Amino acid sequence: MTSHEHDHDHTKPPSELELRVKALESLLVERKIVEAAALDAIVDAYENKIGPRNGAAVVARAWVDPDYKVRLFADSTAAIAELGFSGLQGEDLAVVENTPAVHNMIVCTLCSCYPWPTLGLPPSWYKAAPYRSRVVIDPRGVLKELGLDVPADKEVRVWDSTAEVRYMVLPERPSGTDGWTEAQLMELITRDSMIGAGLTKSPVKAQ
Amino acid sequence: MNGIHDLGGMHGLGKILHTPDEPVFRSEWEGRVFAMLLSVNGVGHVNTDEFRHSMERMEPAQYLSVSYYEHWLHGLETLLYEKGIIAVADLDAKLAQIKGNDACQ
Amino acid sequence: MPIVLTSDMVAGALKTGHSTRVDVAIEPRFKVGQRVRAKNLQPLGHTRLVRYVRGRVGIVETDYGVFTLPDTMAHGNIPTPQHGYRVSFTSHELWGPAADPKNSYRVGLWEDYLDPASDMAP
Repeated sequence: MTSHEHDHDHTKPPSELELRVKALESLLVERKIVEAAALDAIVDAYENKIGPRNGAAVVARAWVDPDYKVRLFADSTAAIAELGFSGLQGEDLAVVENTPAVHNMIVCTLCSCYPWPTLGLPPSWYKAAPYRSRVVIDPRGVLKELGLDVPADKEVRVWDSTAEVRYMVLPERPSGTDGWTEAQLMELITRDSMIGAGLTKSPVKAQ
Repeated sequence: MNGIHDLGGMHGLGKILHTPDEPVFRSEWEGRVFAMLLSVNGVGHVNTDEFRHSMERMEPAQYLSVSYYEHWLHGLETLLYEKGIIAVADLDAKLAQIKGNDACQ
Repeated sequence: MPIVLTSDMVAGALKTGHSTRVDVAIEPRFKVGQRVRAKNLQPLGHTRLVRYVRGRVGIVETDYGVFTLPDTMAHGNIPTPQHGYRVSFTSHELWGPAADPKNSYRVGLWEDYLDPASDMAP
């Protein structure tokens, strides 16, 4: 939807909040502190170009290419940059691996830190108080609430993004995907599976 | 600071309102606030640590009840005022001007 | 002088980001494998020392290298470069004896947030 349509949406008058943001932008543009076209470009980048599909590409590559997987764990930032993903809120990336013994979960209890270059902008539930407060004290309760069954004897490892490193989970490869192409595998890799708040789709379900 | 933002381990903050999918920005204003902050952060006006701290200083009940990008708007405005980049009166005047100009009303 | 981000600069700016790494050789105070105790600091200003680890003992798992310190960057853009570490904590250490022992924690902590801990129980 273009801003033109929003400005002339006669079904609803603009809210106080919308007017305030419009006023702020107008002021900053007038004072030449920001440029409107740059704001458009930033919104476009995060709405349309930078998103979890990037992370899915990294995961799929690691699943099919053992040498890439080694590089991914040796230096996640460099390996992810090989696929063309880098930059803001991902200057230092670290991929953590789900195994039969360990289920990883990522959180930023203090705010909303998240690996933007691979996963895009975080979903609202990740940034809100319930997840941020609970996942450190009761990660299994959170998993249960999100519909995941993690066996009691599996380690649940919680990563709090308090420092500059941005974490991403490498989920386990679903069985029944031998010989699949990276493009096919990417269809199974959900955003939540790369946060540790969900699992990959099963090959049967995805069909 | 031992602020409301330091949430790890708190009880009673409710159910996780999980959505399998949602738009990146739920309203246009969210995207504009996001982009405005990115445009002033790291270019000589503010840094990320100042920005985080500006949101931590929100009134706690507000922090817990308003939507995420309202935190960003609060932080952005706070920093712009504190650094003398704009004045509160400037925004008030611009807001009044926009309301006056709104032909839909 | 602050710069104005223009539309032609956006793609490059997003791709580059703003690393807070500092290219300076500083001797790390802590080694990988060392037991450390998060300090009982109660700063009024900005910090990334989460309350739930203060006073708790963990093990240094990784030295991430040298970064600016958020506590001083947030108040006057002062770098105070130092090593940042990933520290692992057990669930019992953070959440008491009733915590599920199969849960574990990894927290990023700057050197100024940490003291050495002895190998003996506190």
